[in-house]
Amino acid sequence: MSTTKVTIQRLATGVPGLDEVLGGGLPEFSFNLIAGQPGCGKTTLAHQIMFALAGAERSALYFTVLGEPPLKMLRYQQQFDFFDTEALNQRVRFINLSVEAMTGDLGSVLRRIVEEVTLHAPALVFVDSFRSVILASERSDGAHNNGLQQFVQQLGMLMTTWQATTFLIGEYFTETDANPVFTVADGLIWLRQSVHRNSMVRKMAVLKMRGQATLAGLHTYRISDAGIQVFAPAGLGGFTPATAAADGSGKASNARVSLGVPALDEMLGGGLPRGYSVLVAGPSGSGKSILAAAFLAEGERRGDTGVIAAFEQRPNRERNRLLADLIAGGRVSLLNSRPLDLSIDEIVFQLLAEIHRLKASRVVIDSLSGFELALASTFRDDFRGSLLHLVTALSNAGVTVLMTSELEDRFTDLRFSPYGSAFLTDAIIVQRYIEVDSRLRRVMAVVKVRASAHSDELREYTIDAGGLQLGTGLPEQEGLLGGRPTLKGPPKPPAAAGRA
Amino acid sequence: MPLHGTTGPASTEPLWQRVPQGASASQVAAALGAITLELDAALSPIIGPRGVMALWQRSLQLTSATYPWLAAGQSGGLTALDRSLLAAAVGRCDAAAAAASVNALLLAFHDLLASLIGPSLTERLLRTVWAPSPAPTSSGLPAQDPTP
Repeated sequence: MSTTKVTIQRLATGVPGLDEVLGGGLPEFSFNLIAGQPGCGKTTLAHQIMFALAGAERSALYFTVLGEPPLKMLRYQQQFDFFDTEALNQRVRFINLSVEAMTGDLGSVLRRIVEEVTLHAPALVFVDSFRSVILASERSDGAHNNGLQQFVQQLGMLMTTWQATTFLIGEYFTETDANPVFTVADGLIWLRQSVHRNSMVRKMAVLKMRGQATLAGLHTYRISDAGIQVFAPAGLGGFTPATAAADGSGKASNARVSLGVPALDEMLGGGLPRGYSVLVAGPSGSGKSILAAAFLAEGERRGDTGVIAAFEQRPNRERNRLLADLIAGGRVSLLNSRPLDLSIDEIVFQLLAEIHRLKASRVVIDSLSGFELALASTFRDDFRGSLLHLVTALSNAGVTVLMTSELEDRFTDLRFSPYGSAFLTDAIIVQRYIEVDSRLRRVMAVVKVRASAHSDELREYTIDAGGLQLGTGLPEQEGLLGGRPTLKGPPKPPAAAGRA
Repeated sequence: MPLHGTTGPASTEPLWQRVPQGASASQVAAALGAITLELDAALSPIIGPRGVMALWQRSLQLTSATYPWLAAGQSGGLTALDRSLLAAAVGRCDAAAAAASVNALLLAFHDLLASLIGPSLTERLLRTVWAPSPAPTSSGLPAQDPTP
């Protein structure tokens, strides 16, 4: 049976990440409201969409009303890369409605809009700011609501029948208002910004988009010279496993990945299963970053590429020559962290972009403590949730992940991460300091490798120019985890017995 | 702000595209009237009549220090450019002074707009009025500022 249902064409907005949040693009001929507080990027979003969509076949009319003076709008918007001067008066036309709006008569505003739409037959219509149309009407007529409702309904109907995809841009502060505009609109894109301590985070929500399922919730976005970029929650859906399978790096494979320290691979039962995440927990100076560098170097030796997100210190020649060389060689990509105002979605987005760019199979997060600090403070309250998101996204991408976690030695309990998040990872390696013969020595153990046999030894290791060197266990000592082991068996030295 | 600031093809004076060198003061005044109407038509739909008005008032203020008779167009405040008063004032000058003042005013207007929205967008918006003259005028002289 042939179907005669209408097919709604979806327009690509040209705003990175927005189409995913919208659920596949913007429905053609839809009547949308872009709302939010001053300064959150409403006009920028509108311009970016307009310049991306407007073409020879699809022209745009941008009505300015009483908000930002058009001269200033043009002055600032042209700073963005997407602003195309040559498009003006051709595929993009700006029309000022201030004279009509000043009269406070919504009818004359509507008439002018209809005149211009009739004259230019645009496929895209923007009214900025729509809020000022309403305010102007309020001044002259206290009982504006009926007029406004009629105006919005007529505008919505006219624009749809003129086959124009329409955007009203307005400053609204509460999204729960029983505003007639919200009712009539097919799409409601809400922008907001929150300042917490000294970081500002911008978030967007699509509260409504008739005819399609959008990605619910708040999505962070950033405004740069290139315009707005929305960080849709990438990596949680189903797109990445396919990529991973194509790379032959899916979790289903039984292959093992060497960490670059042969003795440690043995302890793990023959290396880390490919696609696993391993948490390396240890106190400051225990050699976590050195192990991370060995992991990436081993990958490079085997022809794999890697990505490192270094949230604590930028790897440099003095501190970690091996890693600095790997990065300089281009086989390992260093993710530049922008501290204090990152969102988890942005970090995941950047990581996945680098993973895809390099077709990387090894990823290092150094360290979780630094990662927590790099997040905007507003996200730190739910750090475990953010961590789960990160691990899930990386796991879906099929990469093998090594995360380090700074762990204060307490010597009274065996902890793996300060976040209670050890359950998130597939494997755990713990490093500790112990005191033997008045010297600080280091031991390491594999605590967990999910669904795999592994060593239960506590083995001593040293760090030299060649990296981590695993020694033997310390069978003659006991109480290693307490930090101050004692020699086993009688007779116990009296002093040691007294300390124990 | 310089009165004869930005240069380049876009700032070629539109006056000489309309009147020959040595035109009388009344011809210059008439050309000014036509040009201001064209500028209004090009800009008003985009930046609104009040935006254009504000640009004229500022341009007149900048140029009337050198060419006092231009103050006639300044009705003060946010009111429209008084074209007839301005044209009458320009028409009363001698020909060279009329042309110099009108050119200065138009350049000030152009440069003010360019300082706000950049030369390329200014050129785009004023293309119809400020079209670079493709060839010397009928008098055979290239477009130039005939300031004495």
